[in-house]
Amino acid sequence: MIALLQTIGRWLLEPLRRLLERGFGPRLNPLNHLGALNIYFFWVVLVSGIWLFIFFETSVAGAYASVEYLTHEQWYLGGVMRSLHRYASDAAIITLVLHMLREFAYDRHRGMRWFSWVTGIPLLWLVIPLGITGYWLVWDQLGWYVALTSAELMDALPIFSESMARNFLSDAALSDRFFTLMAFMHLIGLPLFLVFGIWLHVLRINGPRINPPRALMAGSLAAMVVLSFVFPAVSQGQVDMSTVPDSLGLDWYYLLVYPLAKAWSPGWVWGLLVGFSLLLCALPWVAPMRGKSPAHVDLDNCNGCARCADDCPFGAITMQPRSDGQAYEIEAVVDPALCMSCGLCTGACPTATPFRRHSDLVPGIDMPDLEAAALRESILQAAAKLEGERRILVFGCQENAQSRRMKAVVNDAETAILDVICSGHLPPPFVDFILSRDLADGIVVAGCPGGDCQYRFGTEWTSLRMARQRDPHLRKRVDSARLALAWEDRWHGCRDLPDVVAALRATLPAAGQPGEPSAPRQPRRALRHALAAAAYAVFFALVAWLSVWPRFHLIDAGHAMVSLSFSHAGQRVRECRTLTQEELDKLPPNMRKPQDCPRERLPIRVLFAVNDATLFEGTLAPTGLWNDGSANLYRRLEVPAGTQELFIGMSEREGADGFDYSLAQVVDLGPGQHVVVEFDSERGAFEFRRE
Amino acid sequence: MTLLQWKPAYTLGIPSVDHEHRQLIGLINEAYAQLEGSADADAIERCLEDICTAIAAHFALEERHMREAGYAEYAAHKDEHEDLLDQIRELMDEFAADPEAGRATLRQRLADWFGGHFATFDARLHEAFGDH
Repeated sequence: MIALLQTIGRWLLEPLRRLLERGFGPRLNPLNHLGALNIYFFWVVLVSGIWLFIFFETSVAGAYASVEYLTHEQWYLGGVMRSLHRYASDAAIITLVLHMLREFAYDRHRGMRWFSWVTGIPLLWLVIPLGITGYWLVWDQLGWYVALTSAELMDALPIFSESMARNFLSDAALSDRFFTLMAFMHLIGLPLFLVFGIWLHVLRINGPRINPPRALMAGSLAAMVVLSFVFPAVSQGQVDMSTVPDSLGLDWYYLLVYPLAKAWSPGWVWGLLVGFSLLLCALPWVAPMRGKSPAHVDLDNCNGCARCADDCPFGAITMQPRSDGQAYEIEAVVDPALCMSCGLCTGACPTATPFRRHSDLVPGIDMPDLEAAALRESILQAAAKLEGERRILVFGCQENAQSRRMKAVVNDAETAILDVICSGHLPPPFVDFILSRDLADGIVVAGCPGGDCQYRFGTEWTSLRMARQRDPHLRKRVDSARLALAWEDRWHGCRDLPDVVAALRATLPAAGQPGEPSAPRQPRRALRHALAAAAYAVFFALVAWLSVWPRFHLIDAGHAMVSLSFSHAGQRVRECRTLTQEELDKLPPNMRKPQDCPRERLPIRVLFAVNDATLFEGTLAPTGLWNDGSANLYRRLEVPAGTQELFIGMSEREGADGFDYSLAQVVDLGPGQHVVVEFDSERGAFEFRRE
Repeated sequence: MTLLQWKPAYTLGIPSVDHEHRQLIGLINEAYAQLEGSADADAIERCLEDICTAIAAHFALEERHMREAGYAEYAAHKDEHEDLLDQIRELMDEFAADPEAGRATLRQRLADWFGGHFATFDARLHEAFGDH
């Protein structure tokens, strides 16, 4: 099941990756930088948010007006900042979802990587409320809807005894204090936890990529600025609580579940959200990763040079004080709970060289599942069978499906394909060994396609090692024209691994003659730029589109909205009793209360009907630990527009017939009109309030 | 007769590096002894491979110490290391290609090769590290 979902995910992402690679090239492919793009969008949101906050007024009366001022009076700056604020946060949701899908589809969510996966889930629970409070603060009609629905969702949680949603039914009930709270959450509270959460999210990996490449930052910022001018973010009308807007442009990235609250009860919405989150959290263990042996340190061959620790993508290797009494200061220690068994450490170890016949080929750090000695043996065996003038050895990482497929296809007399765990598992001296001993004429190293390494740094470290820019350097004496790293820009005109092999074979210098390598044909520059521009356009068009469309209808056409909103304390469970003097005398002097009243109250019964058709009927329990509080009712109902007779009745005594309080009134309801049914406890009277 | 002699003045004060320097001198002397004696080409090749492996690991260790100490001439010293590793690979391949001619050149170059580096680069390192 999980494997099937992963296959579907890859089936969706792989064509997208290939398409984007044609425009951006493997190094700048946005799909390889989703997490970093996410953080970058967060920075854009932060900077634009600071500008918005300077002009924002944290009050019921001022919020809308100050945002209107920013949007229209200061359209060239404040308006752009507002649009950037919205579109960057919307873009972040797309990259976030793609990031999750990608990590899942490419099997990077389980095994030792569960920590990053699981710590990512709470980030969702921080980002979404961040967007929700943002829409709330604008306090336009969407803000009102968001406030009302959020409050209804909060009311479903056993936190407040009184209904929070009732605060958003009239201007009188609304207080500036609420805006201060929202502003605190949106500006300080949630971002603070988010930054902390991101830190935790990347804590276990070595050298996390926090920033995307500059070209991507510049490109997406430019695209967002263009979008901000072409399609600026605007408010959706001042709040008027007496009417319900016909439809609203909903930001589906953040408010996706809100329409659900219309169809489902809030409890189900919470159930869905919590259930889905728990399912995501459990995912790494639903189908646990098959166990691989962690890297093994051989102290006799370890002098503490720390190259393995520097190159480990998962921070699994630490250098610790020497434990074997040798004359070295430190030694490498592998934490099996963090080791992904990628072999990048063996690739970095200076003792992992095939030029060792005197002693056994045991490097300071080795992979038990594919030891360096076994790798040398497989090279010698494969080379012995190769024939021809242009023999090529291909090293395919085990994660690379292409190299697995190719194994069946290309094992001809002139080509042999060998397994390494990851491209970075191949120590550079092996390349020197193969070419100088004339075991082959050319070498292809296949990494994960597009340079997006399963083990994060395998392709990158290999590129640098072979370019003599990272330890261990490939020896200068090795002819680089005989080595093709399949993921590099130079080869990315080749669609598949067999093409890379063919291209290398075609450019191999003939025996004895130095060859001039000619790279395969790459897509034309103009075409590449056009593709990249189109990718930006499509992406940000999607951002803008779902940020206001499809529009959402709060209530059905031709209906009015009636909110039942009141609280009332029911009768006590029994009458108060006056104590006799005799009884009082028995009590300690300080406790002689003349009346004995029970604290507990009876539930109240409420019925609301339109033209004698009951729309709501219910018994409301008193609140409070001792059932001594008032009973609260909040319910939003849709009523057909037109002239209707509304009836509300309430009974304080359980089981009694008739109502202690009631009101029947013929009301002319316009479409979209909002009527609040209130109860004045002091006067003991209901009211159908239309503002 | 031994080719190279460890001198107390070579001491850098980093126990691991000093230990490996001594080991390397031992390995080179051993190779030299094999050359002087009547060892077969294969045995000599294996000796060279041991030197190559040991020296690659040794340079990695020395580079870590240099980086950690913020050694000012790190880049030059590192380049020299890479050159030396290339040279020993050349020596190995030359010897493998023609063991008889190789013996003579090897006998001569083995001392120059490591001794030269030791006298210049590691002596400078000594000045930087030796004081503390």
